[in-house]
Amino acid sequence: MSKSYFDETHCAIGHPKSTFMQWMLTVDHKRIGLMYAAVMFTFFFIAVSTALLMRFELFAPGQQFIDGDTFNQAFTLHGVIMIFLFIVPGIPAVFGNIVMPLMIGAKDVSFPRLNWFTFWLYIFGSAIAIASLFTDAGFADTGWTFYAPYSLNTGTNVIFTLVAAFVLGMASILTGLNFLVTIHRLRAPGMTFFKMPLFVWGIYATAWIQLLATPVVGITLILAIMEKYFGIGIFDPSKGGDPVLFEHLFWIYSHPAVYLMILPAFGIMSEIIPVFSRREIFGYRTIALSSASIAGIGYLVWGHHLYTSGMADIAKTVFSLLTFFVAIPTGIKFYDWIATMYKGKIVLSTPMLWAMGTIITFAIGGLTGVTIAMIGVDIHLQDTYYTVAHFHYAMLGGVVFLFFAGMHYWFPLVTGKMYDEPKAKIAFYMQFVGFNLLWFPMFIAGFLGMPRRYFDYLPEFQIYHQFSFFGALLFVAGLVFMFWVFYKGWTKGEKVGPNPWHATTLEWHMPTSPPPLENHSKVPYVDFDPYEYHHGEPVVKFDYETMRRID
Amino acid sequence: MAHEYIPEISTDRDGTEHVVQGWQDDFYGGKLGFWLFMFTEVLMFGAMFLVLTYYKMLHPADFVAASASLNRFLGGTNTVILLVSALTMGLSLLKMRAGDVKGAKLMIWATIILALMFLSIKAVEWTAEYNHGVFLGLDALQSGNPHSKPFGEILFFGMYFTMTGIHGFHIIIGIGLMVWLLKRINAGKVSPEHHILHWNIALYWDIVHLIWVFVFPYFYMIGAASGGTGGH
Amino acid sequence: MIDYKSERVMYYKVLVGLLLLTAVTFGLPYIFEAGADLPAQMFIAVIKAWLILMFYMHLKGEKLISVMGIFSLMIVLVFFIIVLVVDVANFQFKDESHITAPQHTTGVTKHVTVPVKH
Ligand code: HEM
Ligand SMILES: [Cu+2]
Repeated sequence: MSKSYFDETHCAIGHPKSTFMQWMLTVDHKRIGLMYAAVMFTFFFIAVSTALLMRFELFAPGQQFIDGDTFNQAFTLHGVIMIFLFIVPGIPAVFGNIVMPLMIGAKDVSFPRLNWFTFWLYIFGSAIAIASLFTDAGFADTGWTFYAPYSLNTGTNVIFTLVAAFVLGMASILTGLNFLVTIHRLRAPGMTFFKMPLFVWGIYATAWIQLLATPVVGITLILAIMEKYFGIGIFDPSKGGDPVLFEHLFWIYSHPAVYLMILPAFGIMSEIIPVFSRREIFGYRTIALSSASIAGIGYLVWGHHLYTSGMADIAKTVFSLLTFFVAIPTGIKFYDWIATMYKGKIVLSTPMLWAMGTIITFAIGGLTGVTIAMIGVDIHLQDTYYTVAHFHYAMLGGVVFLFFAGMHYWFPLVTGKMYDEPKAKIAFYMQFVGFNLLWFPMFIAGFLGMPRRYFDYLPEFQIYHQFSFFGALLFVAGLVFMFWVFYKGWTKGEKVGPNPWHATTLEWHMPTSPPPLENHSKVPYVDFDPYEYHHGEPVVKFDYETMRRID
Repeated sequence: MAHEYIPEISTDRDGTEHVVQGWQDDFYGGKLGFWLFMFTEVLMFGAMFLVLTYYKMLHPADFVAASASLNRFLGGTNTVILLVSALTMGLSLLKMRAGDVKGAKLMIWATIILALMFLSIKAVEWTAEYNHGVFLGLDALQSGNPHSKPFGEILFFGMYFTMTGIHGFHIIIGIGLMVWLLKRINAGKVSPEHHILHWNIALYWDIVHLIWVFVFPYFYMIGAASGGTGGH
Repeated sequence: MIDYKSERVMYYKVLVGLLLLTAVTFGLPYIFEAGADLPAQMFIAVIKAWLILMFYMHLKGEKLISVMGIFSLMIVLVFFIIVLVVDVANFQFKDESHITAPQHTTGVTKHVTVPVKH
């Protein structure tokens, strides 16, 4: 039996004997990715529980379980965890780490020790955030956006959360830096940029955003901390500071951050669609370049969060126009995916189901986004549940759904085993139906005026919240079921070979399953496109010992 | 990596061999990574300069008045000190690359001493400002009391202490890095053949200098023409 | 291995250049009126920065890194333009703003909620 990366590893410091310490000190990109996944999904479930708590409270008007202040802390905790601890590290930290080096035929990322350090920086930042739950002042109640001046005045422990967000931002920057150098330096010979799998393109565009947007929010948080400790006045109107400036700086990062979440997710989509349509992807270059241009335009649109904050009218107009532009490259991707499926031999395995479900949910999320990019509409819908439903459709129905798709897709790669397909499909349908039931009614409630971040509401909104409640139950049940299917698959699943999906990209050409410590037995020479199919069969075949083509 | 790293070879279909770039021994990769890190510094300070410029637009007169009260003599001395330290750091790298390890170490020590001088002068400056009642958290920089300065000056000094403070923090980190570099040289991990760490720390020192090149005139010089107290 | 003696010359030349430019920095206030010298000062700073980048930081000939650096600087520039030129300069309620006219309130009105405007 050959050894896999579960059996042996390289460590950052020395060569400890105990398995536990080997995991803690590992520099292997696959193990680090797995550890990210473990920690991130723990936090994810905490945030989901908080969301359920809010949904319980919102079941009926008036106060049932928690008071208004606790509700404020609940949505802040939910938002902070979901954003900073879960979805921002998100797909890059997990699949960027596990899969990206395999896809480009590298032995590891460019700076394996830095990768290890980054992981622990992430843990450290998360620990600070969670620690503030147990301080006297309690968790922040500002919402995940920390808007001044409220965040400067509130008695809750905002400083911890700000510091945590800063540290997590550093971790994100370092991940991006590592991946950028990896992609520039470690591609297998022959693999030009336009021969890279599209997931790598997604990671590449994302890494630029991580690198060049995160510092802005980092310094903004530092300024807010300085403000809170020393009263430097920068965001405090009583000293001449401008809170709108805080919003500018905050969204200069946080808008590009939504592309940082979705671009790698689109990358996963672009992997799954050709593999399960058994067809070469349609418009490879347009997909690759649209990732880059989304990242580029994404820098220029942050102002659509400030329509009601007090900006110059001309600025609003410019931002609105630029925001519409982002829809173009996104639309191109959608057409390309659908064109890929056209006349393909579609295999409806679970990853494909998730991908196709996402085409629906993300389309809703994206198109409602275009509606609130219009200034007039947004003046009405800003800070209502319409907006909340929009970003849940985009983040949960887009990013997280595709994350799940990727988890199903790469499950056999990571574990060497297969989960129970029929059960996984049931889990998908539960979540898909539950999700739409959970968030669609909120579009209507928001449109009719249900404001965001309220623990109470007028009786006329009750019916929507009750639909939403049952949707949430169904969704969470499906979620738990899905993880149970994964657990069963990992412990009892059937062993599968290196390439169960008949995929073409390099991560499926491993000598063993799961992959060995240092990946491919030899680095292949890449003189082929990433998704070459002929009559529904992969064109390129390798001898997995020498990694030379045998087709 | 104690053992000599031998890059892998990949063979294409025609049998031509291609050297594979590994993550080990990747000088250019190390350099590229550090440049990317420096771009994040540019973005960070860029955002702070944006804040500063915004408030300067709102309160031009207050900014000139506040700037006039800074000590240009000490600030200028520090500018020259940093300038010379950039030279010593550059020479140390040059000596290392030319094989003169001992000379390189001497130059690093010189840089450390210059950095400490910079910090001492900074301390003198801040102490004097504190004694004038102008410091983070003191009444003059808070609103709603008899000592309050006008808005523009509060904001100027808020940014002044924040930005020079963060810059000073970078100097401290730089000293730490240089001490670490000396240890690595002594341990033989950094040598004329493997000097990427030295190269990058030299780059770091240059970016710290570079930031000061903009910070100094922005804070100290805009009020120079109006005379002012110059910190006295 | 490189030759120390010949490479060293460049470092000293740049040092002299930087020192001269620093001297100019101190000369500018005699030419401009108070507060008006910022653009000139920044211009000098850019030249200094260019010297440092090209020679001390060996950016000369580094195409990829230069392009990336220019890209980063462009992004910062765009932030400046959008915030300062597009938004702040055109703000239509300047006269009603409470963050420019200092109000000498006394007493404990530390966190008065003034209408927040640019
Ligand atoms: C399990 C399904 C989820 C449910 C039931 C849920 C529910 C909620 C609820 C009730 C709110 C509060 C809305 C308000 O009162 O304004 C909220 C806010 C929010 N949720 Fe979720 N959510 C879920 C998943 C997610 C996911 C996956 C993400 C992102 C990755 C996310 C990100 C956010 C954010 C950023 C906020 C705003 C917090 C704030 O206002 O500061 N949620 N969610
Ligand atoms: Cu946005």
